[in-house]
Amino acid sequence: MREAVATLRQELEGRGISRRDFVGFCSGVAALLGLPRSVSAQIAQALETKPKPVLVWLEFQDCAGNSESFLRASKPTAADIILDLLSVDYHETIMAAAGHQAEAALAGTIKANQGSYIVVVEGSIPTGAGGAYCTIGGKSALQIAREVCGGALAVISVGTCAAFGGLPAASPNPTGALGVGEAVPGIRTLINLPACPVNAENLTAVIAYFITFGKWPATDRLNRPLFAYGKTIHDACTRRAHFDAGQYVEQFGDAGHRVGYCLYKVGCKGPVTYQNCPNVQWNEGTNWPIGCGHPCIGCAEPYFWDRMTPFYAHLTGIPGFDAAADIDKIGLYATAAVAATFTAHGLVQLGRRTYDRRKQAGATAPPDPPSGPPAEPPDTTPAADAAQKGAAS
Amino acid sequence: MAAEAHGAHEGPLVPVYVWDLVVRLTHWAIVLSMLVLTVTGIDIARPFLHGASGTAGFITGYVRIVHFYAAMVFSLAVFARVVWMFLGPRRSGWRQFVPVTRRRQRDLIGTFLFYIMLRPAPPPAVGHNPLAGLTYVAVFGLYAVMILTGFALYSVSAYTSYMSMWQVLLPVFHGPQGARWLHHVVMWLLLGFGVHHFASALLTARVEKNGTFDSIFSGYKFLPRDRKPDDA
Repeated sequence: MREAVATLRQELEGRGISRRDFVGFCSGVAALLGLPRSVSAQIAQALETKPKPVLVWLEFQDCAGNSESFLRASKPTAADIILDLLSVDYHETIMAAAGHQAEAALAGTIKANQGSYIVVVEGSIPTGAGGAYCTIGGKSALQIAREVCGGALAVISVGTCAAFGGLPAASPNPTGALGVGEAVPGIRTLINLPACPVNAENLTAVIAYFITFGKWPATDRLNRPLFAYGKTIHDACTRRAHFDAGQYVEQFGDAGHRVGYCLYKVGCKGPVTYQNCPNVQWNEGTNWPIGCGHPCIGCAEPYFWDRMTPFYAHLTGIPGFDAAADIDKIGLYATAAVAATFTAHGLVQLGRRTYDRRKQAGATAPPDPPSGPPAEPPDTTPAADAAQKGAAS
Repeated sequence: MAAEAHGAHEGPLVPVYVWDLVVRLTHWAIVLSMLVLTVTGIDIARPFLHGASGTAGFITGYVRIVHFYAAMVFSLAVFARVVWMFLGPRRSGWRQFVPVTRRRQRDLIGTFLFYIMLRPAPPPAVGHNPLAGLTYVAVFGLYAVMILTGFALYSVSAYTSYMSMWQVLLPVFHGPQGARWLHHVVMWLLLGFGVHHFASALLTARVEKNGTFDSIFSGYKFLPRDRKPDDA
């Protein structure tokens, strides 16, 4: 065990990461998980002493954006640390092996670590045409996912494609793409980390949590960890005060946009999107979309390409109408049409009655008085009421 | 006067107590809360009330709070009215809405013919006429859509409250954006209904001269003495 500690420290120091940086990283992970500061020492100890979990990274219908997000760091920090912690035995983009060697490595890893390895899946799984839209080494993505995910300790779906189908599953979904949870039912532990791409900090935190506590963080009904997806972007947004105060960007580049008003009216989907972007931000806390003046497009939500569009409008369009059709205009016209119909109806009715009355007046000599008291006074109200009630009951 | 022109009324008119207090109160609670919900709802969908720049304010915050409280009034009034359909007197009952009797089914067509001016006078009715009753079934259906989409939208940010249970509805509406869309479109449908309802009430009151328009304030309609009371 002592040797392992020395090894990790040496590894980290060899990559220019000091002990101070490492403890700082552990504090960051604890804060991200919403845990008290005292836990950071526990995390540090666990990361240094516990055995490295074996990790297999599968890529299906993807753009490698999640790998990019995970690997590309301007300085050696979170990603490096976690990669040093993990034993990444299979990752198509970064592994040295190729072809049959690579597939043999995957098969060997699964066999040797049955039931104890972690799978990270990137990209959706096509189910159309017998899975022919995505094959690796002669096997379809669905076959590979079933084989690999079936014997895994846990599956982490990174990115919206792996979690919910994402872009490949957008209407009309030509490849029959599904998220991992839907394509491979019965996974022992499924953690969905949607977003386009996944925020590497969240993936790091999930794995650190598992290494430290030996279990997986609490999740919501869509298998998303609550520490990262427990709140909408809107409810943690740095511009929320402008929303409540009624200060909005009306169009890009206006005075409100320049001073950082709320982007709600230019289509921000923060109110309907769960993620911790406002707190964690991106690229080591450099900035995030709303922070640089762009509305949230809801990339972490299921079917975001279909349901969050148009990205620059509050509401979706009416099916069958132009995508940019304005519901409010249509509604106003429809209401006006109803009012006009009834006005016309009333006028016709009135005209006909006047016509009838004139005709009647022409036929019989004295015309009715235009108004006046009823010819016969009605019964006194209480009596009639009582009579009616008696009849009704 | 009653017997003029179309001859709908024969004999003297007597006041008949048609709308009980619960019907009238829930009616006006629904009307007023709907007006508040429409104005605040439009402001939530495309804010037109703006805070002065550079000052701290809470205008959209207040608009949302008013919307939520009005929604409580609306939901409870609709709920009370639906319960009253089964507990209240006959004129408030569900048979006034769903045409289950042969007579109401026949009068449904007669009333429609009257509305499209192919018939000089509507078939006699004491409470809701059969066509209006059936229309209100659809309207109550739209109320249900509004309440459920509203609850679903509220549940998006209801993290610790019991209202988070309505999150189960979100997939039904294709996510919160679908719920938003439906909530918005049905608002327009209900506004259109409101215009129709107001105009029809005026028109019917004018043609039938039976105090239909006033009855929702007073509870009384003025009907011929020989009008059979059991036409529900």
